[in-house]
Amino acid sequence: MNFLRRQLPLLITFAMGVVFACQYYVPHPVSELLLTTVTKWLQIIGGFALVLGITSLFHLHAGKIRRKEPGWGYSGVLYASMVGTILVGLGYSFSFQQWILGKETIDGVRTMFGWIYTFMMVPLQGTMFAILAFFIASAAYRSFRARSREAAVLLVAAVIVMLGRVPLGEYLVPISGDATQWIMNVLNASVRRAILIGISLGAIALSIKIIFGIERAYLGGGRE
Amino acid sequence: MTFAERMLRIDRRIIFLLIGLCTLLPLLYPVGLAIKVSPEVRSVYDKIESLPAGSVFLLSMDFDPASKPELYPQAIALLHHAFRKNLRVIAMTLWLPGTGMAAEVISQVADGMGKVSGRDYVFLGWSPGGSSVVINMGQDLYKAFPSEYFRHEPTKDLAVLKGVRNLRDVSYVVSLAAGTTGIETWYVFGKDKYKFELGGGCTGVIAPGLYPLLRSGQINGLIGGLRGAAEYEVLTGLKGQALAGMDAQSATHFAIIVLVILCNTFFLFIQRSRKQADQR
Repeated sequence: MNFLRRQLPLLITFAMGVVFACQYYVPHPVSELLLTTVTKWLQIIGGFALVLGITSLFHLHAGKIRRKEPGWGYSGVLYASMVGTILVGLGYSFSFQQWILGKETIDGVRTMFGWIYTFMMVPLQGTMFAILAFFIASAAYRSFRARSREAAVLLVAAVIVMLGRVPLGEYLVPISGDATQWIMNVLNASVRRAILIGISLGAIALSIKIIFGIERAYLGGGRE
Repeated sequence: MTFAERMLRIDRRIIFLLIGLCTLLPLLYPVGLAIKVSPEVRSVYDKIESLPAGSVFLLSMDFDPASKPELYPQAIALLHHAFRKNLRVIAMTLWLPGTGMAAEVISQVADGMGKVSGRDYVFLGWSPGGSSVVINMGQDLYKAFPSEYFRHEPTKDLAVLKGVRNLRDVSYVVSLAAGTTGIETWYVFGKDKYKFELGGGCTGVIAPGLYPLLRSGQINGLIGGLRGAAEYEVLTGLKGQALAGMDAQSATHFAIIVLVILCNTFFLFIQRSRKQADQR
């Protein structure tokens, strides 16, 4: 059992890691075919991951409803919305005389699934994002203060960029547009690049550790 | 409690009301201030403008409804431009929740410009896998997407994809991204290996993070947020949602700047008063 749970996954990880690290540099048709096949596998596994995610979500919220945990009503709403949408999205439509199978429109006519998407999901997600503008304004008023020299620099940069990104700002302070471009292209880009290089080096180090079996957290914390 | 202290503890609902008015009033009474086009947006426009008719243009709409206000106008402007140039358009998404919106935008713009699905454009829809979809498309587009989205016709038989086997045959790719999976994915797993030209469009929030890619030439241009969409509308001569929204954005930015200046003025005033009181 230990072989199946520990050694075999480590062996597969090592083999696949080494093969595909080398594959990138080998343009031979066999190597390319291998890449095509394996990326197709990845797509299929991605599909299964979606099913696994939905099943896990159902399981989690079913437990909350059963135990009547605080806020279990929200889990009920989630359950009803998910089951309802899946039934409407995959079920048979008598008005269209066919199975919907995830289509938002059929011959230009909106299905019930499309209606849920357009008039519920789109405005709800849009509203959630739009609320941010109000909270950002309130938070900026309450906490964006020049308490130190560093905070003052951040404050000045933020005001310049906010001015330079809108036509009214460029109209009132014509130099704000060019100043914003300079901040974004020079200061911002150089710092971001440094962060990116750091993240990339970290990712390479972690990949090597996973390939050689030093990092094993992905195997899970089950009993040996 | 002094006046400054009272002002710093102002009811947040007053700020909400102010931001609401700053958004609503310019939408009702637009001013229409001139918009200066930035070099990064012009690069995307110039690239599409330079493509000869019949070239293959791939638009990946990698966003969900939360980013609709910023990225939907970008998609409309880009599709409008591509169709006007008679490019062969391949549209798709790497974000599952964005599938319906992507289908809506491509069919609406195409219908408005008399373009036919399968002949002038194709919508491939969504496929699971994120980065592996990009690699798979780079290897064999027909294996990654065996059928198109609307009528499930085999992609191999579509006139619009004639001579297109993989990403190497695509002239220009633009990813409109609201996060990852998005522009970086298209660069790392796509452009780097399959050598196509790549441009990007993104929400204002993630734009600063993409400037290193822009400066190093890994993407040839970047349309950032609603402002970027408005700039593209200016270039294409399209009077769309982005231009209409810029006045509201101007007003809200100004409201936030005024609020920040006010809060700092009150803060400094309180600090000074406390210092003077301590000295006494």
